[in-house]
Amino acid sequence: MHAISKIIAYHADRTSVEVGEIVNVAPDYVMLNDRGAARAAELLRRMGGDKVFDPERIVVVFDHHYPAIRPQDAVSQKKTREWIKEQGISKFHAGEGIGHVIFPEKGYAFPGALIFGTDSHTVTNSALGCVATGMGHSDIASYLALGYNWLRVPEVIRFDLHGDFRPGVYAKDIALRIAQLYGEDAAPYLGVEFAGPLTAKMAMSERLVLCNMVIDFGAKTGYIQPDEITAHYLSQRAPDRRWTAFTSDSDADYGSIVELDVSEIEPLVAVPHDLSDVRDASKLNDVRIDEAVFGTCTGGRIEDFRVAAAIMKGRTLAPHTRMMVNPGSREVYMQAMREGLIDIMMQAGAQVGITGCGPCSGCHQGMLAPAENSITNASRNFRGRFGSPEANIYVASSATVAASAIAGHIVSPAESMSD
Amino acid sequence: MHIRGRAWTFGRNVNTDLIFPKMWFRPAYEPGEMASHIMVGIDEEFPNKVRRGDVIVGGLNFGCGSSREEAAACMKEAGIGAVIAPTFGRLFTRNCINVGLPVVVSPGIDGEVTQGDEIEIDLAKCHIRNLRTGYEARLPPMAPESLKLIEDGGIANYTRRVLEQRRQAARGKLK
Repeated sequence: MHAISKIIAYHADRTSVEVGEIVNVAPDYVMLNDRGAARAAELLRRMGGDKVFDPERIVVVFDHHYPAIRPQDAVSQKKTREWIKEQGISKFHAGEGIGHVIFPEKGYAFPGALIFGTDSHTVTNSALGCVATGMGHSDIASYLALGYNWLRVPEVIRFDLHGDFRPGVYAKDIALRIAQLYGEDAAPYLGVEFAGPLTAKMAMSERLVLCNMVIDFGAKTGYIQPDEITAHYLSQRAPDRRWTAFTSDSDADYGSIVELDVSEIEPLVAVPHDLSDVRDASKLNDVRIDEAVFGTCTGGRIEDFRVAAAIMKGRTLAPHTRMMVNPGSREVYMQAMREGLIDIMMQAGAQVGITGCGPCSGCHQGMLAPAENSITNASRNFRGRFGSPEANIYVASSATVAASAIAGHIVSPAESMSD
Repeated sequence: MHIRGRAWTFGRNVNTDLIFPKMWFRPAYEPGEMASHIMVGIDEEFPNKVRRGDVIVGGLNFGCGSSREEAAACMKEAGIGAVIAPTFGRLFTRNCINVGLPVVVSPGIDGEVTQGDEIEIDLAKCHIRNLRTGYEARLPPMAPESLKLIEDGGIANYTRRVLEQRRQAARGKLK
């Protein structure tokens, strides 16, 4: 059995499961974001449920529309606060950051865990060697009522990452390379494991980026075998957490194994409106940038700020370019301030906003006008994701976004790093 | 389960942002409200064109992206008989099953259907047919648990039933 199958079996109270089998599982934690909590609470009532099955396993995070922009969101958040109190839910985080950033930060994600969330990027957590996946609102409401959900045991594809990063290349570029090679449907319904010598030495922040993006090529969950880097991360974040690392039995547990030499990868950019339409950043110099969008569950961690500030230090944004920055969490924001990174970005002319999802999927400020071009370290270049359906979104690494914001057009960060 | 309907065709990688754009999100929906926004990210007139019983035929990876259940629920509410594609986004698949909308995987179907064709599906027999062209194919069998959820009208009905069983069991213990 693959470790993913073993984790599912454990949470189904079974000794083994088979790939393709559907089992009922009880997750360790279920994340409800602001919209998810409001909808799931409503659907729970409609299903005839009055009490949630286990309030201890529920984590409510206000990240999408908090603080409320529209009165209707304020109303629904008020109702959710009342509902949380009435249900005895104590794990509540409003304004502390994006669910997928704070889950690892606060130790909700840990090896061997099973995590569900009302958001597709819940997969991010799987970087810690757990199974983490998004679900719909009725799905989660059913869990709230019954204490379990149905889950199909996925086949697993493994990407063995070799070689070393070239200057200016990051985990984000690997994810874009996979989308380029294998499409937005590279791994439909599958588990995606990252392994190989490069993954073994990759920092947790980079692992989180890889696993965050697996949904954007179709996967159910990511997976990275827990190791010393994982153990160290947890010892800093959740020293009291007890966890078990499950291990896969053999290469026979994989549907396929793909070798990827990262040293061949250049800084990459996905061009509108298809994540698998990926080009070298150095060949897109004629794309003028009106707005850089920096943050989100893909690129809003402290390491992203360090990379961007190193590029932006002592420089200013191109006169026609604006930059929207939303730290992924309060902790990231405060750390970036302590390290002087926010100072550097603001000196350069960036607008730094609240923690949360930012302009991604139209959550916070920074919408685009028709025909405007944006470059972002978020995960999706879907039409209309940052406002006008006539705007263009280019997806790249934090380094490429920062360098392009300074240049005013798309550039490879390798160029500005060699200055 | 037997479905027959007029086809609307869509391309590859149609994401759920397009099927149900975020600007129409609400904490609670009036009856018919979700259906009135179906597919408006691609065709603003689609809610007026589509009729109850029609089927949607998509390309590879139909329904990829965001977990929004509205993408499946708006189709169910609009009376879509089935959504058919060579492959689907995982969350969209799951949401279709949970709202009781037949989500039919049919390899190569996007090359076999043009808009307006009459499509017939027999889910129990795993069979699909294009009545205009005569194209016929076997469908990969759906998991029995998923088919049952669809036939039951979705996860809400299932959950109601289990909750009721639990209440009865609890009352039994008290007696």
